[in-house]
Amino acid sequence: MLQLWQQYLPDFFAGVVVSLEVTGAALVLALALGALLVTARTGRVRVLRSLAVGYIEIFRAIPVLVLVFMAYYSLGQVGIRLPGFWAGVVALGAFYAALYSEDMRSGLQSVDRGQREAAQALGMTNGAMMRRVILPQALLAFLPPGTNELSNLIKDTSLVFTIGVADLMFQANQASAATFQPMDMFVLAGLFYFAFYILISRILARWELNVQRRRS
Amino acid sequence: MHYVALYWAVMARGGALDLEMTAIAVAISVVVGVLAAIGKLYGGKLLAAIITGYVEVIRGLPPILQLFIIYFGLSQFQINLSPFAAGLLWLILYGIGYAVEIFRAGIAAVAEGQGEAADALGMTRAQGLRRVILPQAWVIMLPSLMTFLVLQVKNTTLLYLVGVADIMYQARLGTSATEQPAIMYGMAAVAYLVINLTLSRLGGVLERRVEASR
Amino acid sequence: MSSDVAVDIQHLTKRFGPRTVFEDISLQVKRSEVVAIIGPSGAGKSTFIRCINYLHPFDEGRIRVLGRELVGGAAPPSKAVLREIRTHVGMAFQTFNLFPHLTALGNVMLGPMEAKRMPRAEAQDKAMALLTAVGLAERANAYPRRLSGGEQQRVAICRALAMDPEVMLFDEPTSMLDPEMVGEVLEAIRRLAGQGMTLILVTHEMMFAKEVANTVVVMADGRLVEQGPAREVLEHPQTDRARTFLNRVLKPLAAEGSPLAPVSLGGDHP
Repeated sequence: MLQLWQQYLPDFFAGVVVSLEVTGAALVLALALGALLVTARTGRVRVLRSLAVGYIEIFRAIPVLVLVFMAYYSLGQVGIRLPGFWAGVVALGAFYAALYSEDMRSGLQSVDRGQREAAQALGMTNGAMMRRVILPQALLAFLPPGTNELSNLIKDTSLVFTIGVADLMFQANQASAATFQPMDMFVLAGLFYFAFYILISRILARWELNVQRRRS
Repeated sequence: MHYVALYWAVMARGGALDLEMTAIAVAISVVVGVLAAIGKLYGGKLLAAIITGYVEVIRGLPPILQLFIIYFGLSQFQINLSPFAAGLLWLILYGIGYAVEIFRAGIAAVAEGQGEAADALGMTRAQGLRRVILPQAWVIMLPSLMTFLVLQVKNTTLLYLVGVADIMYQARLGTSATEQPAIMYGMAAVAYLVINLTLSRLGGVLERRVEASR
Repeated sequence: MSSDVAVDIQHLTKRFGPRTVFEDISLQVKRSEVVAIIGPSGAGKSTFIRCINYLHPFDEGRIRVLGRELVGGAAPPSKAVLREIRTHVGMAFQTFNLFPHLTALGNVMLGPMEAKRMPRAEAQDKAMALLTAVGLAERANAYPRRLSGGEQQRVAICRALAMDPEVMLFDEPTSMLDPEMVGEVLEAIRRLAGQGMTLILVTHEMMFAKEVANTVVVMADGRLVEQGPAREVLEHPQTDRARTFLNRVLKPLAAEGSPLAPVSLGGDHP
C-alpha cells in the first residue's frame, strides 16, 4: 500500500494544488459577493433587500452539486461556456456567498447599538464608524462561523471532479480506477482532506483565542 | 417546454426515492445520535474520545469521499454493496456524526441548570434525562434538526454518483437523451428548492407551534 | 436669542409610532450653565438628551445648538451640520459604550484622529493628558473589559473631552455603577463644571444635582413639569407632580398618604 501511495503521491500533490486554487478563488468570490449581499440586505432600498433575501433563500436550498452542473452544463447551453475550473469556482462562490452574507449579517448585528451611538456622538462619519468601530468588532464575531464555512468549502471543492477538474478527488478517482485499490487511494485522499480540516480548525481556533485574550 | 412534461414524472420518482432514503437515514441517525450524545456526556472519557474521533472524521472528510470509500473502497475487500445500500449506509453514518453534536449541545445547554434541579429532587440521571432534560432539549434543538434534515436532502444528490436513481440521476439521463442541460438541471434545482423550502417552512411552523404551546 | 445661550430648545416633541415619548419641551441652556434633568424612569429623559446631538430625530420643534439649527419633522440635517454639532457636543452614556477592541488610550484617541484628522502623536499626547487628569494614566493600555465600571466611565468622559467640546451631555452617567464607584465619576463631572463647561445631565443623584447644577428640570410622563434654580426646585417644588416624584425619591420610607412635608435634602436630617 505504501508503495502505491508513493507512486501516486505526485499526482495527489498536483490535485491538492488544484483543490486549493479552487478554494481560494471561490473564497474570494464568496466573500466579495457575500459583502455585496449583506450591504443590499441591510440597506435602505427595498427592492435590493428583497433581491438579496431571495438570493440567499434560493441558493441555500439548492444542493451544491446541482449548482456545479448548472454552472458547467446549463450555462454552457445558453452560451456562457466556462471551463470546468471556473464553473466550479462560480458555483461554489455563489453558494458560499449566501452563507457568508448571513454570517456577516449576524456579525454586524452582534455589535451593540451603543457603539454606533458613541461613534456618532464623536462626530465620526459613517465610513469612519464602520471602518474603525463596527467592522473590527463584527469581524471578531464573524470569524468562528466564517472559519467553519471555509472548512466546508474545502470539502465541497471535491465536487468539481464531476465536471472534470483535476483536483484531489479527481486524482484519487483516477488512481483507484488504475490500480483497482480504491480503498487505499481514497484513504490517501482522505488523509489530505483531513489534514486541511485539522489545520484550519486548530490554527484559527488558536488565533481567535489569542485575539479574545488580548482584548480581555 | 414539452421536455418538462416529458420528464417531470421520472424526476418526481427520483425525488420520492431521495425523500424515502432521507427519512430512513434521519430516523436512524437521530436515535443513534441521542444515545451517542448521552454516551459522550456521561459515558466516561474513553467513550467520549471515541465518539469525538468519529464526529471529527465525519466532519473532516468530504461527503463524496465518504460515500466512495463505502461503495468503491469496501469492494476492494470483496464487500460489494448495492448502490442503494451503500447510499443509505453513508447517509446514516454521516447523519450520526452530525446528530451527536446537535444533541450533545442541546442536552448540555439544558442540563446546566435543570440537571441540578433534577438531582436536587432525588431523580436518577436517567430519570432526569428522560423526564426533565430531553423534553426541553428537543425544543432548543428544533432549528438545528431542521437544518440537518435539509442538509441530508441535499446530500442525496451525491448518491447518483454511485448509481442511485435519484433526481440527479434522472436529470443526468435526461440530459444525455435530450441534450437540454439547462432544462434538466433547472428542473432538478426547482425540485430541490421546492422540497427544501417546504421543509424549512414546515420547520418554522413547527417551531412556532412548540413555542406557543410552552 | 443672545449669544451666551449654548443650547436653545423650543417646543420639542418626539413620538414613537402612536406613542408620544415627550411633548412640547422648551429649555434654554446658557454657556457654562449646568442643567440637571431629573424625573421618574420612562419619562423620556434619555431620548430627550439624545435629540440635542441628533442621535434621535424628533417630530416637532427646533433646537439651536451653538448657532446651528435642527428642525423637527423636516428632512434630516445635512451630514456636515450633524458632524459640526457632534464634534462640539460631547456625550457620555449610561452604559459607557467604550469601544471594546481598543485600549483606554485608543478609545480617547479615536475621535480626534477620525473626526478632526489630528496626527497620531498629538492625539496620543492629548489622550494621555486627559487620562492622567482623571487618575487613569497607568490604565491607559488596558482594554475596557479589564476596567472597573467607574474607570470605564471616566475613560468615556475623556473620550468625549478629547474632542474639545463646548457642551457635554451626560445620560445617567452613574446609574450602572456600583455605589463605591459613583464618587469618582461625579468628581470628574464636578471638575468639568468648575472649569466652566456647559453641562446637561440626566441623573438620579439628587444630592449631586443640588450641589453642582444651576438649573434643575423635572420631566415626568413625557412633559416638562417644572424647571428652575436647583435648590428651589429640589427643596420647594411648586407642582404636585414634581413634589410627588421628589418625595418618593428623597423619602422612600415615608408612609403613603402622609401629608407632604417639605423635602429635606441631606445635611439637615433631624
